[in-house]
Amino acid sequence: MKIRSVLAIMAALVLCVFSAGTALAQNGVTDTEIHIGQWGPQTGPAAPWGAVARGTGVLFDMVNAQGGIHGRKIVYHMFDDGYNPAKTMAGVKELQESSTGIFAWASGVGTAPGLAVKEYLASRQVPWVGPASGSPHWSEPPQRNLFGVYPLYFLEAKTLTRYAVERMGKKRVAIMYQNDDYGKNGVDGAREELASHGLELVEAVPVELTDTDLRSHLLRLRRANADCVLLWLSPTHAVMSVGTAKAMNFTPQFMSTSTCSDFPLMIHISKGLWEGVITASFGELPTSGSPLMLEYRKAFDQFAAREERWGVFFTAGMGFVEPMVQALRNAGRDLTRERFIEEMEKIQNFQGILGNISFKPFDANDPSSRQGQYEVFLIECLANGDARRLTGWIDAR
Amino acid sequence: MDRKRSYYEDVALFDSKAKLFWFFVLMAFLVAYPHIVPSNSYIYMANLMAINIIVVLGLNLLVGFTGQISLGHAGFFCVGAYATITLMIHAGLPFIVALPAAALISALLGFLLGLPALRLEGPYLSIATLGFGISITKVIGKMQFFGGRQGLHAPELTIGSWNLDTDLDFYYLAVGLTVLLTIAARNIVKTRVGRAFIAIREDDIAAQTTGVNLTYYKTLAFALSAFYTGLAGGLFAFVLRFIEPEMFTLLMSILFLAMVVVGGLGSIMGSITGAVLITWLDLQLRHILTIPYIGDWLRTLSQSWFSITGVSNIQYIVLGTIVVLIMVFEPLGLYGLWIRAKKYWKTWPF
Repeated sequence: MKIRSVLAIMAALVLCVFSAGTALAQNGVTDTEIHIGQWGPQTGPAAPWGAVARGTGVLFDMVNAQGGIHGRKIVYHMFDDGYNPAKTMAGVKELQESSTGIFAWASGVGTAPGLAVKEYLASRQVPWVGPASGSPHWSEPPQRNLFGVYPLYFLEAKTLTRYAVERMGKKRVAIMYQNDDYGKNGVDGAREELASHGLELVEAVPVELTDTDLRSHLLRLRRANADCVLLWLSPTHAVMSVGTAKAMNFTPQFMSTSTCSDFPLMIHISKGLWEGVITASFGELPTSGSPLMLEYRKAFDQFAAREERWGVFFTAGMGFVEPMVQALRNAGRDLTRERFIEEMEKIQNFQGILGNISFKPFDANDPSSRQGQYEVFLIECLANGDARRLTGWIDAR
Repeated sequence: MDRKRSYYEDVALFDSKAKLFWFFVLMAFLVAYPHIVPSNSYIYMANLMAINIIVVLGLNLLVGFTGQISLGHAGFFCVGAYATITLMIHAGLPFIVALPAAALISALLGFLLGLPALRLEGPYLSIATLGFGISITKVIGKMQFFGGRQGLHAPELTIGSWNLDTDLDFYYLAVGLTVLLTIAARNIVKTRVGRAFIAIREDDIAAQTTGVNLTYYKTLAFALSAFYTGLAGGLFAFVLRFIEPEMFTLLMSILFLAMVVVGGLGSIMGSITGAVLITWLDLQLRHILTIPYIGDWLRTLSQSWFSITGVSNIQYIVLGTIVVLIMVFEPLGLYGLWIRAKKYWKTWPF
């Protein structure tokens, strides 16, 4: 009896084995829908950056409200990965391999979460547009399915340094940097730009993520007599540096990256000390009166959650996917991934709320075939959290 | 219920034919599982579950059986992951050698951490292990040899001529190892070593007077536990094929511990159920807002009390609530629930 039941179960299982496994993954496009996915931390310490993913959602809502794209609505799947790469991978696989699948991935906050899924998306040739981090990993080496929009941190450092040396007459530039990929890109950029002026960094001080006292770091900068200090740090550490410097009467010109360019937030957490700091910005400011920004603002009022803040990260989330929406429009009714990638490659001098964006046909030796934006402009923080624009768009290559 | 007549009956792996039968049913299910699930993501989830089961088996040997607490298991997990990849890249070892070697390195660190544990107990020990767990990731993050904060990419995973490049291949590796390690753990706790562990947990002085060598068995518990965890870490490196030090956080150690407690302290089956349940909740609770009615209600709740943006810190609150409820109503964890169910059916329908 027992042996017979074992056999019966085995037979049933074998049947299952042969009947399953034939279902094909879908490509995320139906007659009426285009499925787009994105991850973003909505919980945990990186949660403030989660506004990027919500911004993207509001832009898609706006596109849908205007009638969608060639008769299709964008169905947006956003999930919370808590900035944990294992969860990013879990969510991406789950959505990608669901019955409808995901046509393309939009943005996605963070270098580590992005790196975790990069190969997976490449192996399936699923398009991915505008990872929300200025890491060089997205376009060096270039990858056919992956289009970078965020300008490299490296170029932000070059632009800021050039401005300090040429326009402000600074001679003793130093940097405080987070001891990782992000920070080192800043150091490299500043070094390269200074070398072209025959100068060197007077000091480069690494900061660990866990450091809670930056006095010794700033003492080193003061001893080096720096008159301009780049802060390639997280917002918290950047604010702490400015505060500590103030307490020890050390007053160089502070400069920082686009990650610290949310001035209302920075003024709030630094209790006003962020005033006068110069940062790079890769997109029109939320307060700018450009017609496109006003249109987005209207969409924000209509679709965003009640407590949402109209800030830099939110509008960045809209900007990162503008070229994606454009390429979807250009691809017409016969939408395939192949077709979409071709249209992405055709994007030339595209102007949305970010800088000028251009891609090229795929070339494995040319990162600029997949890195679309190289422009930033510089802004200075005012006492009330507003920004004063210092320059036009600059391409620092 | 299970009356034993001889010592050998007690140490036997399967004490009845029925158990053996269900074991084979389970094995058949595990073999068939990847083919009956609707999509690959379930296989990925099963892989994460298998890895967590290995960790929790190891952690349970330490916490549940020996009574020594550890808040640093993410550290061993990290060591296992880094050692496996480093040995493969720099020493050119094949995976099949690198994985056990990495587990042994982790075990060595476990042994070293076990030494102070001889003098520390309870909260003091938890702080010592906590320190280990946090500092090891910082040390690795500082060293360029380990890729620093940029992390490491895993090489190709091959065993002989078998190239494990899909989740399905990896599933058979991970689940196969999990089954082997589960049987090994069951053997350990059923025989001399396990009895020594339990004796130490109940009362270490009494254990010593009856001839249990405390130094040996306490450090052995740490080493064994670290071995399991290191092995799981080595597998984990190939789930993402990318690791960086900040992935192995304190929160990870605490989740491991939660799996042990929710599953049931001092129980092999509890380890498995706890790991499966918490992994599932951790991955799937983010869908909670899409459940009809309950989702909307939770969203309103979250918006009015917890989160400024209205998007879900609620999943962690729900996870916490579930863990607390299990503890309140079933202090023995899921294993306790199982025992109760078994007792109930034994006398059914009376």
